Amino acid sequence: MSLEEPSPGPDVGLTEEGLDHDALADLVGDALLGRESHRNAEALVVHPDRVAEALGKLRTEAGFDHLACVTAQQYEDRYESIYHLRKYDDPTQELSVVVPTSVDDPRSQSADSVFRTADWHEREAYDLVGIEYDDHPDLRRILLPETWVGHPLSLGYDDESPQIVTLREHANPLADDHRADEGDTMFVNIGPHHPATHGVLHLKTTLDGENVASVEPDIGYLHRCEEQMCEQSTYRHQIMPYPDRWDYISAGILNEWAYARAAEDMADLDVPDYAQVIRTMSAELCRIASHMLAVATFALDVYGDFTAIFMYGVRDREIAQDILEDLTGQRLMFNYLRLGGVAWDLPEPREEFFEKTRDFLEDLPAKLEEYHNLLSSNEIFQLRCVDTGYLDPEVAKNYGATGPVARGSGVDYDLRRDDPYGWYDKLDWDVVTEDGCDNYSRVLVRLQEVEESAKIIEQCVDILEDWPEDERTIQSNVPRTLRPDEDAEIYRSVEAAKGELGIYMRSDGTDKPARFKIRSPCFSNLQTLPEMSTGEYIPDMIASLGSLDIVLGEVDR
Amino acid sequence: MLLQSQTPLPDAIGGLLGFGEMGPGETFVAAFIGAALILTFMLTNAALVIWAKRKITAAFTDRVAVNRVGPAGLLIIPADAVRLLSKELIIPENVDRPAFDVAPLVLALSALLGFAVIPFGNGLQIADPEAGLAYLFAVASIASLGLVMAGYASNNKYSFLGGLRALAQNIAYEIPLVLTAASVVLFAGSLQISTIVAEQAQPLVSLGPVTIPQWYAFVNPFAFVLFLAANMAEVGRNPFDVPEAPTEIVAGWQTEYSSVYFVLAYLGEFLHIFLGGAIVAVVFLGGPAGPVLPGIVWMLIKIWAVFLLTQWTRSALPRVRIDQLIEIGWKGMLVLSFANLLLTAVIVGVLAQGGVL
Repeated sequence: MSLEEPSPGPDVGLTEEGLDHDALADLVGDALLGRESHRNAEALVVHPDRVAEALGKLRTEAGFDHLACVTAQQYEDRYESIYHLRKYDDPTQELSVVVPTSVDDPRSQSADSVFRTADWHEREAYDLVGIEYDDHPDLRRILLPETWVGHPLSLGYDDESPQIVTLREHANPLADDHRADEGDTMFVNIGPHHPATHGVLHLKTTLDGENVASVEPDIGYLHRCEEQMCEQSTYRHQIMPYPDRWDYISAGILNEWAYARAAEDMADLDVPDYAQVIRTMSAELCRIASHMLAVATFALDVYGDFTAIFMYGVRDREIAQDILEDLTGQRLMFNYLRLGGVAWDLPEPREEFFEKTRDFLEDLPAKLEEYHNLLSSNEIFQLRCVDTGYLDPEVAKNYGATGPVARGSGVDYDLRRDDPYGWYDKLDWDVVTEDGCDNYSRVLVRLQEVEESAKIIEQCVDILEDWPEDERTIQSNVPRTLRPDEDAEIYRSVEAAKGELGIYMRSDGTDKPARFKIRSPCFSNLQTLPEMSTGEYIPDMIASLGSLDIVLGEVDR
Repeated sequence: MLLQSQTPLPDAIGGLLGFGEMGPGETFVAAFIGAALILTFMLTNAALVIWAKRKITAAFTDRVAVNRVGPAGLLIIPADAVRLLSKELIIPENVDRPAFDVAPLVLALSALLGFAVIPFGNGLQIADPEAGLAYLFAVASIASLGLVMAGYASNNKYSFLGGLRALAQNIAYEIPLVLTAASVVLFAGSLQISTIVAEQAQPLVSLGPVTIPQWYAFVNPFAFVLFLAANMAEVGRNPFDVPEAPTEIVAGWQTEYSSVYFVLAYLGEFLHIFLGGAIVAVVFLGGPAGPVLPGIVWMLIKIWAVFLLTQWTRSALPRVRIDQLIEIGWKGMLVLSFANLLLTAVIVGVLAQGGVL
């Protein structure tokens, strides 16, 4: 600790009434070009050559330490990158930094030197929209193949033009077989088809003996143009089925809620209390199902083939799925939430549904006990997981890690509590954090969050049971066609199973969004893998990958 | 009638064929027939594994497993055999032949050779050389050669890693395995398998009508546990299955093998588990000895019990990391097995002085 005069704390612009945006604008100084107002936050327009400086000041002096998302888009007259900033301590304090660039030469400074998470986000912006970032360490395409022609989300993109990519031209991952021929290292492609990549992920790994000398995740194999599809769909009904397909590991309702929250805030829709309680309950059921599978597949990575703990996880998740099936009629692609409420009321007979849910909750502690016996108290498991995959809290924040990954590193960040929505702030539950920063902590966090989710569901069931019969409004009055105000912009996020799932939308006055950007928690979390795994053994890297609990459907969108 | 005989199998067969005086030619023919019998028996036994493994694992993991083809899914065995054998044999470019082709043979062969000296009871033993136990460990460890050949010849990085892991693991655990067995040899005073088995038939204590035999698992439980652990590592089952480690290095040294070669490699693995079980049974569990049931049944029960244990650990235990595995081997098991050997030597010496042994 230095004994020097402490620099003024990172609280510029912080007042009793909330954020003082004039002070923040002053802080940015002459890099500021103007001001804008988004639905979720004020926006500062910053000069494209001074992005790092402005973001650096906002980070160190105003305490905006979380770069949640980078959205890029093209207008007729300009390109724009929006850096969505918030604070890990209080995510309701938000600020957007808008960086406009000219159409002829879309070029602005990279934010990578301030936030490491900008690395991938800006690569995606370059890939899909076509903005070039100066000083970016590695500006390549990230979702599309290297040989792709054009930037699909830019306005002038010709989607009729053939994308002929010959095998010869294509960056063949098998070609560079002998990287670092001189040294003692060995290059090995882990994935895209590998038992431990949980989907189609490609890890370009350099091994030094059994140690990982460097690892670089290569994503995009499951890119399905989800953002573009949402931009071609109407707000009212057509977008809602898509979120189910992002994080498809039974976290559907959590994803739907992200869209519902953003769209409802954008169009000023109310949601009846009754529907909020149902949403909260069903979302937590999804979280349990998702965490169960996360723990089960993590065990798969550490244990080997299909072992008892994996099957137990799947067995218990099945019950949560059954309940969700009773509620929504679907097992994975729920499509249950609607703007302004939910699709339908609880299934009849209600008593049966409540009983089934209560039975599930009642059996849960014994089952978690079983998990702890098989997993967390197993000595070999501890040997494998404690102190491996170390993720420092500061590093986690720098990479925009959220969800159980951040909470396993002791970052106390949970949007359900910090940026309340639904019925969460009226219920009694706790945010789980662990300070171990290792694979073990991340597993513990998930197991404990299952308990917390169970608490939430139990309270919701109590509330729903006592809800007067004539007040069971499941949906508010929502216009048949939604046309939010022109140029309304919003970024809203919810705590999905994997972390902060955010949606940015911009309206152009029509019934379809002009820009639809998904902030996927897995995308940011996966970025931390090299930090965790470099220098560790291959099995530790596989375990770390499992502990991140990524779903490629959400990483690649 | 054959099963009641107590003479070695080739002699019994020679007698059946009416050879009378056994010259080298007659011995060869009789031993050949005996070997064919034992191998057929062991391979049939290993084929049963295709079904049993599924059922056992399913029981551990709360599933049902095969139950459609035939009674309790038993017909899955021929179905699987046909399926596996009729698959295309893919031999990747640039593999190092013939090492690539020989490796699965070496694996299966080394395990099969071991069964030559295993007494299945009732005289079902092909040979009983004086250095039987040494021979047993010698041929079983030829498998390491097969693993390295497979790993190196496959021209695949995962195979290569798997092969190296397998070698490192086998070297690390071979020594504790042999040392622990050596402590038993000190008790028995012989390397000959029949002597080791016979020694274990002696009574240890008598509790009324029940006489507990002097099985070395009872005499020296510490050595028994050590041996079981080292054996688990030798056959590469959880928590020591790092040479294959499906989630890390795909399938390790097996990665490039398909069709018949894969069957051989797979079969070799299970034969090794059974050979491991047979060694455990012979050295620590009194071989084919047991009440009421014939010796061969008891021997099979003991072998399958060890197999069951491997399946149990596979379903329940995590895999250790390669560095931890080596550390456990060299820093833990080796020290413990040396301590066990020394202690046994001292005890045996003292007992011999006192005229007890």
